[in-house]
Amino acid sequence: MSANPSPIQPIEFKGRMILVSILRLHPAEPVALQEALEARMHEAPDLMRDMPVVVDMDAMADTPAQDLLSALETVRQHGLKLIGLLYSQVSAPLADRTGLPLIVLGPRAGGEVPLRPAPKPPIESAPQETSEAAPVPPVQAVHTPSLVVNQPVRSGQQVYARGGDLIITGAVSAGAEVLADGHIHVYGPLRGKALAGVRGLDSARIFCRRLDAELVSIAGHYRIAEDILDTERGDNRLITLSGETIRILEI
Amino acid sequence: MSRIVVITSGKGGVGKTTTSAAIATGLAQEGHKTAVVDFDVGLRNLDLIMGCERRVVYDFVNVINGDANLRQALIKDKRTENLYILPASQTRDKEALTQEGVEKVLEELSQEFEYIICDSPAGIERGALMAAYFADEAIVVTNPEVSSVRDSDRMLGILSSKTRRAEQGEDPLPAHLLITRYSADRVEKGEMLSVEDVQEILSIGMLGVIPESQAVLNASNAGMPVVLDTESDAGQAYRDAVARFLGEDRPHRFITTQKKGIFGRLFRG
Ligand SMILES: Nc1ncnc2c1ncn2[C@@H]1O[C@H](COP(=O)(O)OP(=O)(O)O)[C@@H](O)[C@H]1O
Ligand SMILES: [Mg+2]
Repeated sequence: MSANPSPIQPIEFKGRMILVSILRLHPAEPVALQEALEARMHEAPDLMRDMPVVVDMDAMADTPAQDLLSALETVRQHGLKLIGLLYSQVSAPLADRTGLPLIVLGPRAGGEVPLRPAPKPPIESAPQETSEAAPVPPVQAVHTPSLVVNQPVRSGQQVYARGGDLIITGAVSAGAEVLADGHIHVYGPLRGKALAGVRGLDSARIFCRRLDAELVSIAGHYRIAEDILDTERGDNRLITLSGETIRILEI
Repeated sequence: MSRIVVITSGKGGVGKTTTSAAIATGLAQEGHKTAVVDFDVGLRNLDLIMGCERRVVYDFVNVINGDANLRQALIKDKRTENLYILPASQTRDKEALTQEGVEKVLEELSQEFEYIICDSPAGIERGALMAAYFADEAIVVTNPEVSSVRDSDRMLGILSSKTRRAEQGEDPLPAHLLITRYSADRVEKGEMLSVEDVQEILSIGMLGVIPESQAVLNASNAGMPVVLDTESDAGQAYRDAVARFLGEDRPHRFITTQKKGIFGRLFRG
């Protein structure tokens, strides 16, 4: 018998993933940084406000530490929530002084799938409303047209459909990763990782012609290859989130 | 019109150099003026397989650095008409291959040659990226095993994103699959992936299947591209691949196991 009779543990680690943007800083005058942040803020205020970011300062090797610290402060002042520094030679010495954790990412040698520039969603170019004291709406994905990828997504590559659905007409290789704020459709075999609803959309789904994935995730809940039964793998699969459970169904 | 063809794979030891020598020789035999360039700086073994290692004076890096001109560095093949070799340097490191330098040399080769075959080093770092960057076409060499196929898949991703064509927003360069060191026996026993498995995963056009063959070792020991060994299975398979590369439609051979004769059945079970 356990010493603690209570069945409820005070803590519990949940196997959820969250998607965090990386903000890469390039050497620039403080004014330029300020202007760039303001411009972004103006473009998408709802998205930027309280947006969690990890800061990548790898390109700032020649900038003195004091200037780096004030750059971070500028970022903070513009409403972004700094949750860590991407590990590099530049950021490592600053970890203690900023109180931010260092975050190490795995390599991704293949880089991003080159995409033909998608037509700009009309909503981005539309003038922003300027009602000042409007109540802060919950952060919600802005609807943008689906991102259609007409070439296979290979090992080491990543594709992310921000704000919308992702449609891939070919295969997603083992070692590749496809993400969307909305649904993901794969009209070839899905052998890599697929993460739908990465900003929290519980109703997001993954559709694939053949499921043989390394990982499937919806709104942060996920199942790794080991947890996907042989009987669940196969042709024409639909993956949904029901409560906290990832379900795999035949279409 | 000149075409730059990179022979690449991601993984080492799969048969890139063997293939570069065979394809270059095969193209030259068909009457196309061909240069084969060794990008494997620091290792240099294309010249061994081509049997011209004792005639190397200047190398690729010398030409890039301006120590020698291209004409001085190119070695004319003794056996095959229309064939020239640009050897790699053994003494320099990969940093010597600058993008501008490589571009200049390939540009100059393009003036004179119909095909420029680039023998890529292993890996996905600088040397391999340089060999692929200016290519018009790629031959991806894969062994029928999971790790080799995975590396080739990754290389295909790089070809579609990190080459000049990709950066200029042109269509991705055409890539052909060449499966080498294929053993039908081992596929049958489930020890190797089948041709269909590999093709299904990589989903690119199949240029050929080269069987695992003692002839390759014999040829390389003799300093002779295996395609010249016309009696051998590997030599014939490479010849077929060259013909397909030039647009001919040929059936694939050496994919299924040989029917075992009575002795084979008795003694090998
Ligand atoms: N079809 C084949 N059958 C048997 N051995 C082969 C075959 N192809 C290549 N080899 C051997 O494999 C080794 C690696 O070949 P190589 O062409 O140097 O590979 P890479 O250039 O990709 O490193 C060499 O010893 C070569 O003789
Ligand atoms: Mg080699």
